[in-house]
Amino acid sequence: MSLLSIQDLEKSFAGAKALGGACLDVRAGEVHALMGENGAGKSTLIKVLAGVVKPDTGSIAIDGAPVAIGSPADALRLGLRFIHQELSVVPHLSVAENIFLGRDYPRRWGVMIDWDGLNRRAAAVLAGLGVTHIPPGRKMARLSVGDQMLVKIATAFQDASVDGDAPARLYVMDEPTAALSAEESQRLFAVIRRLRAAGAGIIYVSHRLDEVMELADRLTVLRDGATVATRDIAGLQKLEVIELMIGRRFAEGYPPRLAPVSGEVALGVEHLSTGYLQDVSFEVHKGEILGLAGLEGAGQSEVIRAIVGADGGHDGAVSLAGRPVRIEEPVSAWAKGLAFLPRERRQEGLVSSASIAGNVSLPHLDDLVRFGLVLDRAAEAEQAVDLGRKVKLKSKGPKQKVRELSGGNQQKVVFARAIAGPPEVLLLDEPTRGVDVGARYDIHALLRELTAEGKAVVLASSDLPELVYMADRIIVFRDGRVATTVSTEGLDQARLAALCFGSPAAPSA
Amino acid sequence: MASALKTYGTLIGFVLVVLFFWIEIPDTFMTAKNWLNISQQVSMLAVVAFTMTIVMVMGDFDLSVGSMASLAGIVAALAFRDGHGVWVGVALALGVGLLGGLLNGVLVAYVGILPFVATLGTLTVYSGLAFLVSGGKTIFGRDIPTAFSGFARSGIPLADMVSLPSLTIVAAVVLLVVWFTLEQTTFGRRLYAIGGNKEAARLAGIRVRRLRFLAFGLSGLGAATAGLMYASRVASANPTQGSGLMLDAIAAVFLGMTMSEEGEPHVAATLIGVLILGVLGNGLTQMSIDSYVREVLIGSIIVLAVASSSLGKTKG
Repeated sequence: MSLLSIQDLEKSFAGAKALGGACLDVRAGEVHALMGENGAGKSTLIKVLAGVVKPDTGSIAIDGAPVAIGSPADALRLGLRFIHQELSVVPHLSVAENIFLGRDYPRRWGVMIDWDGLNRRAAAVLAGLGVTHIPPGRKMARLSVGDQMLVKIATAFQDASVDGDAPARLYVMDEPTAALSAEESQRLFAVIRRLRAAGAGIIYVSHRLDEVMELADRLTVLRDGATVATRDIAGLQKLEVIELMIGRRFAEGYPPRLAPVSGEVALGVEHLSTGYLQDVSFEVHKGEILGLAGLEGAGQSEVIRAIVGADGGHDGAVSLAGRPVRIEEPVSAWAKGLAFLPRERRQEGLVSSASIAGNVSLPHLDDLVRFGLVLDRAAEAEQAVDLGRKVKLKSKGPKQKVRELSGGNQQKVVFARAIAGPPEVLLLDEPTRGVDVGARYDIHALLRELTAEGKAVVLASSDLPELVYMADRIIVFRDGRVATTVSTEGLDQARLAALCFGSPAAPSA
Repeated sequence: MASALKTYGTLIGFVLVVLFFWIEIPDTFMTAKNWLNISQQVSMLAVVAFTMTIVMVMGDFDLSVGSMASLAGIVAALAFRDGHGVWVGVALALGVGLLGGLLNGVLVAYVGILPFVATLGTLTVYSGLAFLVSGGKTIFGRDIPTAFSGFARSGIPLADMVSLPSLTIVAAVVLLVVWFTLEQTTFGRRLYAIGGNKEAARLAGIRVRRLRFLAFGLSGLGAATAGLMYASRVASANPTQGSGLMLDAIAAVFLGMTMSEEGEPHVAATLIGVLILGVLGNGLTQMSIDSYVREVLIGSIIVLAVASSSLGKTKG
């Protein structure tokens, strides 16, 4: 019998259909992937399960018995637990305190908190998930995002029956690996497999097809609010999944190269060093995509940020088309024809209160001026429309606020900003993170067009297939240094992953 | 419907306040003469609130505007007492305002002190300076040239017994300049981007520090302008006469912010905020209601307006 059975959910918001015929069936002891493009209805479905959104019609059953989830408290009582990418942790409390937050701490003499006892209990909860590398007394803020997530899962996992909650039976994980390194993701997967072995059901939402294929037992694909298919992962091809999600057929997952790389150097970096980076040197040629790979925080982002002056000064020299340039602030990077796409779209990329046009024009306002100081709004809107078309942005027009857009379309707005100008070199930090499959393909196609026009692209990514298929060469970083540079000719993902991790003997915990 | 109420609630509240006084004071409230009078009464607050809007667009505050207004008035009056002409005194006062504002800008943008703390510090410094240079005394009488004090009493005659006061014209000019700067120039667009997301703005090539520095300079300039208007109006200067301006100015901007969907300050909305405060003051005075009641009312209105507009915005 199914642990969770959802039948024909329908939900409309102000006339717009978010769900129309969504079905989902999760068994105990399985990892069930939920996939679909942004806007396919995954979030709404999860919100229904969480008791945040009430469906118009449809039914939910647990263990075959129909249930009503009217509030988050109901969801908790039914044994549902939710792990989101944005974690709600208390950073200045310890791991143990976070795990037992809001519950009674063990006491000594009735009044004093028994910290040792608390830590022991936390360690036991973590050990139950196979997590032994996190000291329970450590401040939450000092943990990596991946470890914070493991703590969060431990919090959900601990047997809460003493406090009257139902024990956790079904975990809903929404893009849990979005901000994790490959290593942290593997740790998370190990924990998820343990939860599965313990008989829990896991609904796993992710844009990363590879990890879904690795981790999940079955998958359900949503498109336009309706369930398109539920399949066993065994024997399923990736291309099939993509086709199910987007409903159209790709020749292959990545667009082909359009033109060869030129011999001219567009960007030269020599002996670049910061507090973290050590003596980084490389060249990018016109028409080339240079990939930057490595484990999370190995130096890929830092190199890009150092080149555009995002974090202040650095040692070493940067040259554009052979001419040395001095860049200490992002403003001079943009002025010299370097476009920068930061890693965190919402925190670093977008002004979400502003319109699409206002976001696109930000670095280019000086080109949109009449009489020396008046903003030419017509030209600004025109720029947003032109570039929006080029990046295949789906919107209601240049005046629409960016916060109303889906993740993929928001990223396209940041891209439109980057290609305005136009720049000679694009520095992209995780350009397809959290972006749906369709938008991802559009972005990759755009990169191909840009390089065909002779632009140089530096692409830092934790998405290994993206690097292997899109880049011409890849620099692998380790601990702030260039470990090696490889051509993507004949390179496979496994080999690149091995390079990122270093030698097989390298410490992994 | 509910969102319309949120957006227009403050405007509706303003209309209700006006209707209330119109009914309660039928003879004198809804007359051109009274409205011109209100416009003059609020002109100093208006100037400070308009330039305060510039820094609040970036999500910053300037608490020092009140003591800066006092200091600027004192500086001008001392210049007059030493025999300098009107324009010298005015230029000195505005120069002090600009410099004081830029000092706030340095502290906030380049030293990196929170605006609340930095301008709280300079509030005290400017106030102390005003007492220091004036010896704590009011400067009045023959020391103030009639050309200066006459300005606030002058105006453009419109009809019998009614004229458009010069101070109102000054406030209107400042309104236009600030509106143009914030809404029509790239400078203004950049300030709004900073207010929306400082880090994203910086990474997108906006000189965040320089703009914050300059914006505080403008706020100081506005405060000094208001200080001069005040000194002209009462034909004297004393080291505390601007002290009421700061809270009312911030309140006016807050009231205005409740009218924007994004919670962003806009100078036209600030004008509504200023008018609400001004009309309340004027109406309650005419009804001979104690001025402390006005304080209680204004405080309550601000809390109500901000609470109603943040309902539903900050869910979850």
